[in-house]
Amino acid sequence: MKLRQLPLKNLLRRPGRTAALVLLTAFLALSVFCGSVVVRSLQSGLDSLEARLGADIIVMPATAESKVSFKNMLLQGTTGAFYMDASVLEKVREVEGVAIAAPQTFLASLKADCCAVKVQVIGMDPATDFTVKPWIDRSTSRALEEMDVAVGCDVTADVGEDLRIYGLNTHVVAKLAETGTGLDTAVYCTLDTMKRLLAAAEEKGVGHKITSDTSDMISAVYVKVAEGYDVDAVNNALNGHVRKVTAVRARSMFTDVSDSLTGISQTVALLIGAVWVLAFVILLIAFAMMVNERRREFAVLRLLGASRRGLSRLMLAESALCSLAGGMIGVGVAALAVFPFATLIETRLGLPYLTPPAREILAMAAGTMLATLLVGALASAWSAWRLSRTDVGIALREGV
Amino acid sequence: MNKKTIPALIVLILSILIAVGSQTFLGACVHGDGSFGACHWAARAMLALGGTQAVMAMLALVFPKQKQGLYLGMLPVSVAGLLTPGTLIDICKVNTMRCRMVMRPAMLVLFGLTLVIAMVGCLTARGRNA
Repeated sequence: MKLRQLPLKNLLRRPGRTAALVLLTAFLALSVFCGSVVVRSLQSGLDSLEARLGADIIVMPATAESKVSFKNMLLQGTTGAFYMDASVLEKVREVEGVAIAAPQTFLASLKADCCAVKVQVIGMDPATDFTVKPWIDRSTSRALEEMDVAVGCDVTADVGEDLRIYGLNTHVVAKLAETGTGLDTAVYCTLDTMKRLLAAAEEKGVGHKITSDTSDMISAVYVKVAEGYDVDAVNNALNGHVRKVTAVRARSMFTDVSDSLTGISQTVALLIGAVWVLAFVILLIAFAMMVNERRREFAVLRLLGASRRGLSRLMLAESALCSLAGGMIGVGVAALAVFPFATLIETRLGLPYLTPPAREILAMAAGTMLATLLVGALASAWSAWRLSRTDVGIALREGV
Repeated sequence: MNKKTIPALIVLILSILIAVGSQTFLGACVHGDGSFGACHWAARAMLALGGTQAVMAMLALVFPKQKQGLYLGMLPVSVAGLLTPGTLIDICKVNTMRCRMVMRPAMLVLFGLTLVIAMVGCLTARGRNA
């Protein structure tokens, strides 16, 4: 038997002890990888939400439920339908500092029509829209025509299929990229299509609290502030000049989301830290006990010609093998728990959640493996140092 | 417990989890009006496939000499399990529905694990027979 095979043989000779060490490092790797992926996904989700909205200010009806409904629609994908008079759009455009004002109209589909769940239908004006249209343009070069729709990535209708909403067939022409937000379950169409859908909804007796002609109703106006103007000043001007609406800064709408994210990140970091310390202490004790238990074995190896450095290397190699196996198991189990169930995690957290790209995940997996190896190496280093200073004679006489 | 029975035992536990889970905590969408979606029938197929695999695992425990053939038989059952929700039998269209959010990923993970373990069992059984 060669000396370099010794660490593996030692580990296989004591399967119970090895399994315990591997399990401990696996738990450490699992917590580090899971925590890192979840926190990074939440951060990506928030970034994606801000990028997707693209507006500085959102103008909506001045009711408390419209703001809550709008926020839930973006974060959790719940449906919302609130309306205001279309004349608001012109009044918004008249306010100084408003560069672009784009209207959107919302409608909740009937759940039986397409998907056994309600989806949010969002009507927008392709001529002025700067929030959804750039995303649609990335998916298709074709302009949305009447009864054409673009669907979010969580609506599993493919391009070319028909989607039935309020008894009307709409044609799916584009599927949008994932944002990790509630907008992934939405269906987008032009305002002309929306008028037909609203009329169909009225015919079906679905009340949307519309008081006048459906063609004169909009749900929200997305505002881009002109360069050189202060967003807060324009926001205040909109609230002062346009009646029966609330203008909200897009960023302030997600302040509490950002706060929740900070809270979650801190909790996860604390948990990872606690697991690290715990794993380090347990490994330290385990390796110290292992060295005490095997003093005579190491003394015999010294008598057979193994150097002090060779014994330290043996100890470090055993810890590295355990950490490597544990790291791989931990990362593997974490991957099985986190990636297939990403939608479930997003729904349960009620926060934007976007899984980072593959290269970032690979980097996180490599970092986790490195961290696990480091903990194993540090925990066994002290035992290895003690081992290298053990007197062979004393070790052999002990326990005889 | 004999080391050689470990893969069959793990497959048995996972298959029972598939069969029971697909009808309970890992099940399809529950509609308020009592109607069934396509995912309901996908869950029924999971029950059948999980049950079949559990019986095969039990047979592998009872008749160790037939183990290799039984492990080989588990491979297409696992592949069928991987393909059933969403590919062979349609499920709901929105990713936030329970069948897409819970049932499908859980079944993919569980059948994926049974596939790998059946492969390992098959290879180790072959090694011992050779």
